[in-house]
Amino acid sequence: MSNFDKYKEIFGSAFQYEGDVTKLKYQEIPDWDSVGHMQLIALIEDAFDIEMDIDDIIDLSSFDKGVEILSKYSIALDRA
Amino acid sequence: MKNILLPMDIKGIKQHQQNRYPLLFVDQITNLIPGESATGVKNFSYNEWFFPAHFEDDPNVPGFIQMETLVQVFIMTFLSIDEFKGEKTNFVKADKVVFKRKIIPGEKLVVEAKLDSFRRGVAIGSAVGRVSDEEACSASFVIAVPSYLERFKPKQKL
Repeated sequence: MSNFDKYKEIFGSAFQYEGDVTKLKYQEIPDWDSVGHMQLIALIEDAFDIEMDIDDIIDLSSFDKGVEILSKYSIALDRA
Repeated sequence: MKNILLPMDIKGIKQHQQNRYPLLFVDQITNLIPGESATGVKNFSYNEWFFPAHFEDDPNVPGFIQMETLVQVFIMTFLSIDEFKGEKTNFVKADKVVFKRKIIPGEKLVVEAKLDSFRRGVAIGSAVGRVSDEEACSASFVIAVPSYLERFKPKQKL
């Protein structure tokens, strides 16, 4: 499984969301609230074995923004 | 971290969590490793407010109160960390909830709780309650400290 697919799967699993996760933004669905945000961050950290900075956690406000942020941790999320 | 004297009595418990009568269901904390585990005791006497109603002819502890007892011991695993002492907590998720036996007036529920993960105000773990060494109830939990989550949420909706 590619890093991008893994990243997509994390969003689906964190929010139990079956739609197009690549378009998701913070608070756009009920499950992506402050608690959901922490669950999402925990899943990303576990999946990619990283520990994110607080500024990055606060900045991760959309699926796309997360792709950009993870590149700082040397995790390439190339879309297939 | 300051030393915590054990057993912790009701005054100590009330300093660490904000649950109060008629919804405080831990009498004593007998073992505690902050950030790891807690063991607590709840004695159910017939004077409990719910026994006359649940049920008049067969008094026993309602399931939601057993759950609340489990979680109130569980939250002591992280509310015993100085930074979180006395914070309010919210249920996020309860899973694998099992009730194995009735608990009746005069019985003592001993709860052992384990914290598996505690990151940025989200606690994940489980608790098992026993009466006379016989398993009575168990569950796993995700609990949040809302005041702490505020620090990490994205600042605004895009």
